[in-house]
Amino acid sequence: MRRDLGWWALLLPAFLMMTVLYIAPIVQVLAISVTEPQLGLGNYDRLLTNAGVQRVILTTLRIGLLTTGIALLLGYALAYVIALARPAAQRWWLLGVLLPLWISVLVRAFAWVTLLRRQGLVNQGLQASGLIDAPLPLVWNEFGVVVGMVHYMVPYAVLPMLASMREIDSRLLAAARGLGASRGTVFGRVFLPLSLPGVVAAGVLVFIFSLGFYITPAILGGGKTLMAAEWIKLQILDLVRWGMGAMLATVLVAAILATLAVFSRVVDLRRLFGARA
Amino acid sequence: MQTFQQDCVELAWQQYRRGKVGRRTLMAGLAALGATVMPGGQAEAQAARDLVMVNWGGLANEGFSRFYGAPFTAEHAGVKTVQDSTGPSAGRIRSMVESGRTTWDLCDSSASSSIVLGRANLATKIDYSIVNRADVIGPGFALEWGAAPYSFSSVLVYDSAKFPTPPQNWADFWDLRRFPGTRLLRKDAVAVLEAAQMSLGRAPASLYPLDLPASLKRVGEIRRNSVYWANGSESEQFMRTGEAVMGQIWHTRAKVLEQETNGRIKAVWNQGILQPGIFVIPRGNPGGEMAQRLLASMLARPEPQVGLLEFLGNGPTNPKAAALVPAALKRFNPTDPPNATVQVVVNGEWWGDNYQNANAEMMDTISG
Repeated sequence: MRRDLGWWALLLPAFLMMTVLYIAPIVQVLAISVTEPQLGLGNYDRLLTNAGVQRVILTTLRIGLLTTGIALLLGYALAYVIALARPAAQRWWLLGVLLPLWISVLVRAFAWVTLLRRQGLVNQGLQASGLIDAPLPLVWNEFGVVVGMVHYMVPYAVLPMLASMREIDSRLLAAARGLGASRGTVFGRVFLPLSLPGVVAAGVLVFIFSLGFYITPAILGGGKTLMAAEWIKLQILDLVRWGMGAMLATVLVAAILATLAVFSRVVDLRRLFGARA
Repeated sequence: MQTFQQDCVELAWQQYRRGKVGRRTLMAGLAALGATVMPGGQAEAQAARDLVMVNWGGLANEGFSRFYGAPFTAEHAGVKTVQDSTGPSAGRIRSMVESGRTTWDLCDSSASSSIVLGRANLATKIDYSIVNRADVIGPGFALEWGAAPYSFSSVLVYDSAKFPTPPQNWADFWDLRRFPGTRLLRKDAVAVLEAAQMSLGRAPASLYPLDLPASLKRVGEIRRNSVYWANGSESEQFMRTGEAVMGQIWHTRAKVLEQETNGRIKAVWNQGILQPGIFVIPRGNPGGEMAQRLLASMLARPEPQVGLLEFLGNGPTNPKAAALVPAALKRFNPTDPPNATVQVVVNGEWWGDNYQNANAEMMDTISG
């Protein structure tokens, strides 16, 4: 008992530093949501009454879920291929997955603009091949935003799923095959269930990231897709409605913590965030 | 969201890099914008007699001291001006003033922000015994909590290759049948709602108060056929690449487009929304009254204002300036009398009362 106390005492300086330099300022900012314009829950009342805030939240959730779903599908396929590839090939695959992570989010958003706009490569290609007559609206809408966000999130989806797929004992798959299961059955009854913890972990990670996207929707949305982060910025910097901005920020933080709390019962979050190899 | 001032600075550098203007012109123009910066980033007042001007661009200091600082220092011995390019949004000014450590003296802001800040007791009233109201062309350029050494306008631009009969006004802008194609608007209520209101037939002379529900509904009508820009280069891109065929953009960008496309993209002064480039003094500024004198000096000198127009296209606000403008440039000057008379001056008072609400609703409308 005494020895335990000693360990905790060693942790104390770090804990205090985090509290004073990190948690306290955040709480101070979030507290503005109940002190401005007057003391009370007036700002939170807007959650129920203001259609604008509700729409921003719905848009954020919709785009977040859509992005998560698509990124998981693509990521799963990629992770599956990588997990089953030969070690030498695996390295190349991984490099391919990680490379986009080192390119600025701004550059990637503008690259998508170049590809998807009315006279962009995709539309021109489709028109030249005679598949379409008029350019398709591929950007300046939610479609463009989701494309940009999925592109950003796929590596984050691949890595946790790959980690969990690598832990699957390949002898189990061989045994299932040996006992007469078809390839489909092996995947559906053995591989998929065993890889599920990775899928959930990746889903949580991607969804939480997606809620806070700022640059990608601002550039690819054509001004018509307003997500939570941009709305908060608008309230704080331009409209000087700090109470409202802090309110949505608080809601966002609460939503993220709630997501983590729920899924921490399903997956090992410490592993997700790299605390354990 | 980029402000007009930020965009001017960006435009200046772009022109310089393309070799269209020389270094001296660049510096002169930047100085006129107040867009120069102290080496090492954020400027701090080193002595009580330093004045900190805050702008939206991150650039070098020398031009400013040559153009505004030197004459001002010559008049007021020992007073220097230093530049800070943090970007004085209303939110940043508020957090500085409320922290009790104001280090900014004169901030490049806007009419609506000056009123929002002033009413919240975050800005100092302009002392019109120091600043001369007669130094600006109209009452909209000398407000209670800010005054404008330059002006800019939100004008209608269109792709003349697409329309044999050119659009004339905002009613044409909203007429998707006669003028089909994507529209381009700024992601902000100011100027957009004025255009919407005029498109509904309200006479420019009696524009205010705007009918908010009607003009917002009007914006919503063309939402599906519109894209929205947040910064000047973006607005230029949308028009140049043909993503949009008609737009409401800053006249500085319209000028560049007209010149670069050899007149394919044209601008219309008619019903343009003329806006003041308002500077504000944060409450408790370290330089005190000296900031008022600096602002007075910026308003009182027509020559640097014309220099800025030559370089970037920002309109002068000093009544003596228009006559000094070279003939070739007159048609690009938003405050040239023939151009100014067909435009509407934005009503800062109305926006001070309505900006927060109207802009929030505008965002709802366009993201609907």
